[in-house]
Amino acid sequence: MRARLPLAIVALASLGAVFVLLPVLALFVRAPWSRLGGALSGVGASTALRLSIEVSLAATAISVAVGIPLAWVLARGEFPGRNLLRAAVVLPIVLPPVVGGVGLLAALGRSGLVGRWLHDALGIQLTFTTGGAVVATTFVSMPLVVLATEAGLRGLDLRYERAAAAMGGSPWYVFRRVTLPMVAPQLAAGAVLTWARALGEFGATITFAGNLAGRTETMPLAVFQARQVDPGGAIVLSLILVVISVSVLVALGGRLTGIR
Amino acid sequence: MRAPVLVVLALVTVGCSAANGTGPGASSTLTVFAASSLTAAFDRIGSDFTAANPGITVSFNFGSSTDLASQIQSEGTADVFASASGTAMDSLQSDPGVTGRTDFATNRLVIITPPDDPAGIASIVDLARSGVRLVLAAEGVPVGDYARQALTSARILREAMRNVVSNEDDDASVVAKVSSGEADAGIVYTSDVVAAGNAIRPVAIPAPVNVVVSYPIAVVTGSTQTDAATSFLDEVTGPTGQATLKDFGFGPG
Repeated sequence: MRARLPLAIVALASLGAVFVLLPVLALFVRAPWSRLGGALSGVGASTALRLSIEVSLAATAISVAVGIPLAWVLARGEFPGRNLLRAAVVLPIVLPPVVGGVGLLAALGRSGLVGRWLHDALGIQLTFTTGGAVVATTFVSMPLVVLATEAGLRGLDLRYERAAAAMGGSPWYVFRRVTLPMVAPQLAAGAVLTWARALGEFGATITFAGNLAGRTETMPLAVFQARQVDPGGAIVLSLILVVISVSVLVALGGRLTGIR
Repeated sequence: MRAPVLVVLALVTVGCSAANGTGPGASSTLTVFAASSLTAAFDRIGSDFTAANPGITVSFNFGSSTDLASQIQSEGTADVFASASGTAMDSLQSDPGVTGRTDFATNRLVIITPPDDPAGIASIVDLARSGVRLVLAAEGVPVGDYARQALTSARILREAMRNVVSNEDDDASVVAKVSSGEADAGIVYTSDVVAAGNAIRPVAIPAPVNVVVSYPIAVVTGSTQTDAATSFLDEVTGPTGQATLKDFGFGPG
């Protein structure tokens, strides 16, 4: 028999659900359904969609590659300033993305701290390139996979790893064959959240990488651009993003929050 | 048991009414939607206006004129609209309507480069040279449309468009991309050059290919403070306002 939920909780939960769902519902209501086909097959939408998928997948791959070691250091490392490091890693989640973009310009722009050297010595300019869009997107979305993986690592029973080490497993072997498989669910959930965040990234990208169709104009930037000339088209593009994101999030279900 | 719900609803209600609370109080807030190129000039005109009319606070919303016009149509919260384009003002003429429309300033286009001019830009035709990283405002943003118009008059639109590395949201973003040294050149308004100071180097665009942009201002129909709005228009078109606009690089309307 199901427990009865207190009325106040149900009422507040309904309010919260309506608040979140209403804007999405409004997009569907206001969408110019008659021109949906045209907008979908339009060159602009497909170019932006392909670029968005490429950029978000690349950002997720980099985030996972760097984020797992970072999570491991945060979970297992004993060193002064660890909490400060964690705060710094999480910072992009709470920072306005445009601030991240300004910071990236100061660091990696053509005349930035490191960017100056990249440009003069190696001839690399990240701004206005797809690589720059990947950098900006990674900066904003990486914290999600780090946090999820670190939480997973902290919840592990250390005895499995100790046993593997006692039987002669090298630290690298233990990490690869024991630790990593045990945090796989949290890692996967974190990676998906990272990808979803990457797909929606806007502020850091337009600030750092600029806005050019086919190069840095991902779906969110295309929505922003379309708003100027074609508000209906902006809604169509928004709906595509909503449908993709919701499909992935629903497919993952409870696994997203580690609840199975 | 219902208490939490009521508290939340009460907070929401208070928040909503505070946002548009007008009424016959001792002080009132005049909401002015203005093109982002007017930011510096209008900030000063606004404080001059408040000094001359104690009790009226001017609250500005700066942005792309096109965006502002559509916000006014959907939200209707503006008392005054100062646009960088006649077209954006035209779109309000029937919905929701405007009164007292008058051109109060003019602006022209100018090329900007970083102070060290890495690409060697001496005139508008240099923007056609391959390898120049050019930043424009996006199509649909007035300054972006005007820039494309000037490039068309200079007969280099196709070559210059190949050099465009980014389509920015407004003139301020174009200035930011150029002053940070990321781009080699951009096209903005002469008023932007005054605001940016030494961070950028201007290169004039000759009159025959340049675009003279008229800025219209008007009271938005539906404003609850037409008197204050009309005095603000007088301030902008009067001697003090015109002198301020001149200081910030605008021509007379």
